[in-house]
Amino acid sequence: MAATETAKKWGMVIDQNRCVGCWTCAVGCKEINNEPLGFWWNRVLTAAPADTTGESSPPDAANPASDSIDVPQGTFPNVEMAYLPVACQMCDDAPCVKVCPVGATFRRDDGTVLVDYERCIGCRYCMAACPYGIRVFNWGDRQQPVDFTIGYGQDYRTDGRLVFTPDRPRGVVEKCTWCVERIDVGEQPFCVEVCPTGARVFGDLDDKNSEVAQLVDAGGATQLLPDLGTDPRVFYLPVDSERSV
Amino acid sequence: MATVETPAPRLVPFGRVGNGVVAALGVLVLWGLAAWIYQLTQGLIATGMRDVVSWGLYIFSFAFFVGLSAGGLIMASAAEVFGVKSLRPLSRLGVLTAAACVLVAAMTIIPDLGKPQRVWELFRYPNWSSPLVWDIIIIIVYFVFAVTDLTIMSRRTMAPSKRAKVLRVMAYAGLPTAVLLHSITAWIFGLQISRPWWNTALMAPLFVTSAILSGTALIAVAAVAAQRFDRIRLPEETWRALAILMATAVAIDLFLVACDYITILWGNVPRERAALDIILPGGSWQALFWLEWVVGGVVPFLLLVVPRYRKRVGLFTLASVLTMVGVYAFRIELVVGGMLRPLVHLAPGNALGSYRLGRTVFQFDGIYHPTWVEYAIVTALFAFLALLILIGYRWLRPVDREQQA
Repeated sequence: MAATETAKKWGMVIDQNRCVGCWTCAVGCKEINNEPLGFWWNRVLTAAPADTTGESSPPDAANPASDSIDVPQGTFPNVEMAYLPVACQMCDDAPCVKVCPVGATFRRDDGTVLVDYERCIGCRYCMAACPYGIRVFNWGDRQQPVDFTIGYGQDYRTDGRLVFTPDRPRGVVEKCTWCVERIDVGEQPFCVEVCPTGARVFGDLDDKNSEVAQLVDAGGATQLLPDLGTDPRVFYLPVDSERSV
Repeated sequence: MATVETPAPRLVPFGRVGNGVVAALGVLVLWGLAAWIYQLTQGLIATGMRDVVSWGLYIFSFAFFVGLSAGGLIMASAAEVFGVKSLRPLSRLGVLTAAACVLVAAMTIIPDLGKPQRVWELFRYPNWSSPLVWDIIIIIVYFVFAVTDLTIMSRRTMAPSKRAKVLRVMAYAGLPTAVLLHSITAWIFGLQISRPWWNTALMAPLFVTSAILSGTALIAVAAVAAQRFDRIRLPEETWRALAILMATAVAIDLFLVACDYITILWGNVPRERAALDIILPGGSWQALFWLEWVVGGVVPFLLLVVPRYRKRVGLFTLASVLTMVGVYAFRIELVVGGMLRPLVHLAPGNALGSYRLGRTVFQFDGIYHPTWVEYAIVTALFAFLALLILIGYRWLRPVDREQQA
């Protein structure tokens, strides 16, 4: 980012009332980011609806609804289910940034947490430190579904640091970038753009008129595993919470 | 003790049996080296680790090697700081094992790295908030310290009174260094809020205690070997001190583990129970519980505190080895309890980061089976450690000759 530009405070809201569990965001993410076979930066998890009365919402991740996708929790007829799309939570106090021994994982002023492919030594401490399990490692040589370039397909650097490359080096960690190459030119992250139900909203949390700021300020928005104090920039609107805009 | 004649460092020939052992260890080291070269050509896909269980045999062996190094400063400081004179004959042997163990521990990190060629970046771009950076610094400090200590201990030219004074200062300085080494290694795990099993303030005390336990056990085994093969005779009170030290460490270690268990069981917080239940009897890794509590806990404790058993060399050696087995089981628990069950535990789970046609790429509960590559490399590291200690022993002859029968 240019130093003269005032940094935005990027944030994302995911409305679980609208999410139908179609995985379009996950597949779109895989495509635009040239993710190798076996990699998912973004997944749509099957959860139980949030308890909107308690602080523990969204769904208590320690108590899964089921070990299979699309299977609700409970006994018929009292069954319930919600979808929880999970990619990088872009924590304000990111454990991965704190543990990276060489500063390969870093946080920009706008809040995006990125990995420098040229710096990472592959110790995987960040994978141990991430509470959300969103990081993936290049264990071997990347396998691509097709032998031609799809998606973004080129290197992207920020402050000279390689934060995206379609040619994944073996032995480095990678993760969701909020499509840094897109948001830097004023576009939306691809998952937001492709969501068929408009369940995802992305924008500047500092801009009080932005939809994302209004949704967060309206109350009812929660973060994933909020008790850990990582303060994610991804907010969820739990099922049955009132959407005020 | 100032009259002790310290032999000049000189590599004494091993003899037939010794040569055979050295050759066998050498073969294991070469085999491990070959496995590592194979791993370098394939990447870490050659291991059993994947995205859910992303740390494995290398990391817990690393933690084990760090722990083994504790023996050195205990032997040296026991005599100087705590006045346990009976352990003085073992102080040089102790520091020798400390230097060897911490060197092997540092080496163990290398095969775990996805980009070992970038390891120099740790010094070029250190991120000071990372416990891994603290650990690398303390490992280097500890290694340099142990080598310096060993050098002073083996110098014949230094006046005995001056040497005793220097060693005393070294013993006092070494104690906090050793405590820091084990604490920082514990904090690599203990500070992580993402892993309920690790995230306990008990982690550092547990690491220090288990390090004292396994470090002393290593010295005990080495001392038995020295007595058996090198015609060294150690006084009865030395064996007794070793046994008391190990028995006490086992008891404190199990007490700390029990404190952890009772806190988790009584509190019954689901995410903490989930990790503990994997290890408790009935869990999928309950073998670790029995290894830690019975095989490496109660059994060696009894063998060490009952004088009738302790005085039999075979049972004493067995007890020492069993305590090390127990400590190793505790290290395996780190990975199992910490990583098998992710905090966000929702279907379909995490992607694996690898792909095979017809297989799912998602894993709900972590699965970890180390591959032959990991076993070969870790076996080689154990063999290399044994080689270092053997050669160091023959070179420095660290157990004082005056004890000979």
